[in-house]
Amino acid sequence: MAKCFALLGWSLPVIESMQKLNKPYVVVSFPDFEPYAKENDIPFVPYQLNEWSDSSNSLDLLEKLNQHNVDVAVPLFEETVEWAGALNSIYRGDPRVLNRAFLFRNKAMMKRKALIGGLRVGLFEEVYNKEGVKAFMKRLNEANLQVEGEEDSWVHIKPFASAGTVGHRLLRTMNDVDEKCEDEDFPCLAESHLPGREFSCEAFVHGGKIRFLNITEYVKLGYSNFIPEGNYLHSKRDMIMKEMQKMVDLFGIEYGMVHPEWFLTENDEMSFGEVACRIPGGHILELCGKAYDFDALGAFVLCHDPDLSEEELKEILPPIDARPKNFYGNVMIYPHKNQISKLEIPEELKEEPYFLDHNLVPPMTTQKISDRDGFGNHFGTVNFKGEDPDRMTELLLHYENVDFYH
Amino acid sequence: MDEQLITKHQHHKINELFTEFSEATNLTRPDKANKLMAQIDMMIDTEQGIEYVYDMIDDLTKEGLFLDSPWSDPSKLVATLVNGTLKSGHPNSTIEILSELRLLAIAKGKINNATVNRDEAENYIQEVIVSNLEFVFNEPLEETRLTMSDHELLKVHSFFKFVSDRIHLDGVKMKLAEELTLICEQRPVVTEKQRKIIELIKEKIDLDPEKSEDAKLYKFQRSIYSPTNNSKGKSIDEYNEFLNDLSDEELKDEAKEMGRSMNEFGLVSRHHAVLLLHILANNHFHLVPPCLGLNPVGKAKWNEYSSSLSSIIMQTVHPYNTQCIYGLAKMLEKGIISREAVRSGLFNLATIKIHPKVEDRIIKSTRSPHKDVTARQYLIGALFRILGQPLGVGQGNNPTCQSARGISMWSEHAPAKLINMIQTAAVHNDLMFRFEGHEIKASLTGKGLVQKLDHNLDAVSVTLVPMLDKIYNEMMLRASGRGEDPHKWVNPALYGQWIQIGFASAYDYLTNAIVDFDGFVRVFYSMAHPEYNGGHRLIYPNPVGIFITSNKGEMLGFHAVSLLRVEKAPNGIMRAYFLNPNNEGRQDWGQEIKPSVFGNGELHGESSLPIHEFAARTYAFHFNSLEVHSKMELIPSAEVRKVKQLAQESWGQAYNWLDTKKQW
Repeated sequence: MAKCFALLGWSLPVIESMQKLNKPYVVVSFPDFEPYAKENDIPFVPYQLNEWSDSSNSLDLLEKLNQHNVDVAVPLFEETVEWAGALNSIYRGDPRVLNRAFLFRNKAMMKRKALIGGLRVGLFEEVYNKEGVKAFMKRLNEANLQVEGEEDSWVHIKPFASAGTVGHRLLRTMNDVDEKCEDEDFPCLAESHLPGREFSCEAFVHGGKIRFLNITEYVKLGYSNFIPEGNYLHSKRDMIMKEMQKMVDLFGIEYGMVHPEWFLTENDEMSFGEVACRIPGGHILELCGKAYDFDALGAFVLCHDPDLSEEELKEILPPIDARPKNFYGNVMIYPHKNQISKLEIPEELKEEPYFLDHNLVPPMTTQKISDRDGFGNHFGTVNFKGEDPDRMTELLLHYENVDFYH
Repeated sequence: MDEQLITKHQHHKINELFTEFSEATNLTRPDKANKLMAQIDMMIDTEQGIEYVYDMIDDLTKEGLFLDSPWSDPSKLVATLVNGTLKSGHPNSTIEILSELRLLAIAKGKINNATVNRDEAENYIQEVIVSNLEFVFNEPLEETRLTMSDHELLKVHSFFKFVSDRIHLDGVKMKLAEELTLICEQRPVVTEKQRKIIELIKEKIDLDPEKSEDAKLYKFQRSIYSPTNNSKGKSIDEYNEFLNDLSDEELKDEAKEMGRSMNEFGLVSRHHAVLLLHILANNHFHLVPPCLGLNPVGKAKWNEYSSSLSSIIMQTVHPYNTQCIYGLAKMLEKGIISREAVRSGLFNLATIKIHPKVEDRIIKSTRSPHKDVTARQYLIGALFRILGQPLGVGQGNNPTCQSARGISMWSEHAPAKLINMIQTAAVHNDLMFRFEGHEIKASLTGKGLVQKLDHNLDAVSVTLVPMLDKIYNEMMLRASGRGEDPHKWVNPALYGQWIQIGFASAYDYLTNAIVDFDGFVRVFYSMAHPEYNGGHRLIYPNPVGIFITSNKGEMLGFHAVSLLRVEKAPNGIMRAYFLNPNNEGRQDWGQEIKPSVFGNGELHGESSLPIHEFAARTYAFHFNSLEVHSKMELIPSAEVRKVKQLAQESWGQAYNWLDTKKQW
């Protein structure tokens, strides 16, 4: 049993879970959060996590955390993955834990590792400027045996180390490269477009073994998803489980939770997209917790503890073959107009039996919507719950296009 | 899905969300509260939904839904703020409705509260009902309709429906009568508000003639719908027919009764216009004075100018432009028609062609424009009212107290200048003023204070205010940066040269503090108080800047009023009588300072306060700098201390205070 968990980053629901589970913890985050932490009796170590210098480094942080008897570090944000890696490599006496953290933070390195290990990935390359992207697209076109007049092959570019969809651009033509790419985007990863339906997995790993696997069905990337997976994906669960364990072995993941994204073609071929090891976006763990009726955030933290006993694991995680009756889904709501002044909840939503709740906030008097980064900032989430995954899919697709803001 | 199932489903959800909310620690409580509130928001647009939430209100309160919000302590709530909050939409409107439900539950003895008892809660709810009549009767004002979504309107209406079924409306009837009295005693130029209330009572509340509290409301109804016995139950056409059959003597009695009815509340019925036009058309000029309820001065003026006046009346008065008859009567009684310039101005005005934009504004300001009444008729009708009731000028829902104050002052002291200004503005949709040797043209200046004019104003104000507001703002810009309050120069330039040259301000721009407040109070008393200024009366209105404070005495902002006179009230207390252009009869400025609008010797349209209380809210005024210095030291220090204490303990807390002596 860990003496104390260091939670790197800031997440009130995670802190609440720790309090409810009555587990020792200390939060490490920016000094801005300190007053709130004090006010609410949250054990807290202020740290400039965005700075790396003589006075701000993992050895210094280690010392500060020793006062709290910390022996497990847990990354909550994408940006704290290396910090957690550095600390855990010391706690576990294994320098490779840090290297693995770097793996999670560099999408090109991650893909190379996957490729070596025999996972199916798209064609990818590090690019340094627009010319590089064009050259990549050209080679891709050649490989796809493009005939004159045919469309260009789609290329995605992504920053090496950003969470989720931030900085992700889809380029469909050579012109797109000029129009959509900014100089600040480079260097970055360029990769070919992977066909198939996209989904993510949340694997709770302990001792190098997957102890619980959640599959999140993406209805539309950046907008909507639901848990557990629908009937089709569910029929592929064994295959997915096998691929997942292969990935866990290949990456050498021993403790914690990994959140990879996969693409599944009609021919049952699975391609690896990317993988993260912090709390996934899109309120996935919230949905997952509700669907399987367990404390997903608490489990996320506890799985980082090498000393966690089998009994404790059993207690905190759902059975590995659980199949819940109800599906929980959500759709993130973005305004569709450039200027909005009010929030209107459509009548049909009120009468929708699957509708659960929403946390949409009305806009400030008249609010201008800033340009989107990734998918922009959503204004809140609408949650659904119901027994039929197909109906769920239908609803999520429908509400993505409903105007809540006028 | 059928209704019942939806309801069952909703109940299940709200219970689930409530459980999540109560089980959350402080960390995620705001988030859970947000979701819970969102569900409540969706549910309470029906009475059933309201009822369900009402049954939960004890639990919601106990679980701390109101904690750390402005609604946490029910004894600190202000009934008059409810309307604005309801209009601001979810989540504010949702928590506001919850807060009212909690008070209703307290009033009904369903839950107990440490700070509010049952009677207080019931009283509060009644006040909320009275100040939200538009929702109670589901007849939202135009502006409300524009700002609120259908869902929000349903929510608020369902709530008031729910509440009014559960609160004794008898208490509300008395408050409605009080509200109508408060409004009518001020004789405002714009009478839409009281007409609306009377209309709504007529439609939605059953009055019992046997009950004494209903009698007053009956009187208000009669003044609009059946001002005389003979007009009862007759449409205006039927009434017109009826008049043809009256003998001279009967017509005279009818005219007398009509005039008396109008003078009671200052409200004019459509029948009145029919009668007046009938009298003039049949050349019964001698019946005009009783028909207008004129006093001897008014009667004399009518006799002197009856021929020219009768043609203006025929051109202006119409059953759908009827309120101007009261203004006309008061204008005659003020005697200003004797001035050649006023008569010329009125004559000119009857011939102008109004600028289309001004015409638009005038029509927009008329609640139910009639096809037979022209914008010019409305304009001249409004002018009658302004000239007859200078103290009835209001600013509507606009930040334009300065312009309203100006129109009122000119009406009283420079009526011909006002008419001339109206003529220019109406024809050109533009206006020019002099300022320190330079010209300011409204159309060439930047924006004024008001960005979106509230058209709930009289036709004269909608004609002038947009320009006056811009000119005032431009003058303020040009006079700023001089280290003193720009009003020192702007007031005389805007209102006219009768504004005194001396200017006293409690606030010192250079030190950013209240400097020598003792001296300031002494100057004020030597200017205004008859016991210290040599027994003199004020001659012209004094434009005074006041601090507006909340009912807790906290500083809210600045406001412009005119000090009109300082005299002993019937009860012997020295009071300051002033014009407050915001026409609000129910004000509470904290520290027990509550301006009254009648019952303390006020003329129609005046507000008043004991002089020391008025002084304690004043921050700037004009004075005759040649006169006050010899009188300043005569003011008793105890009086100065009294004023200073009130000031320091209220708005004064927002400022630094310096005792350095100042040269006044």
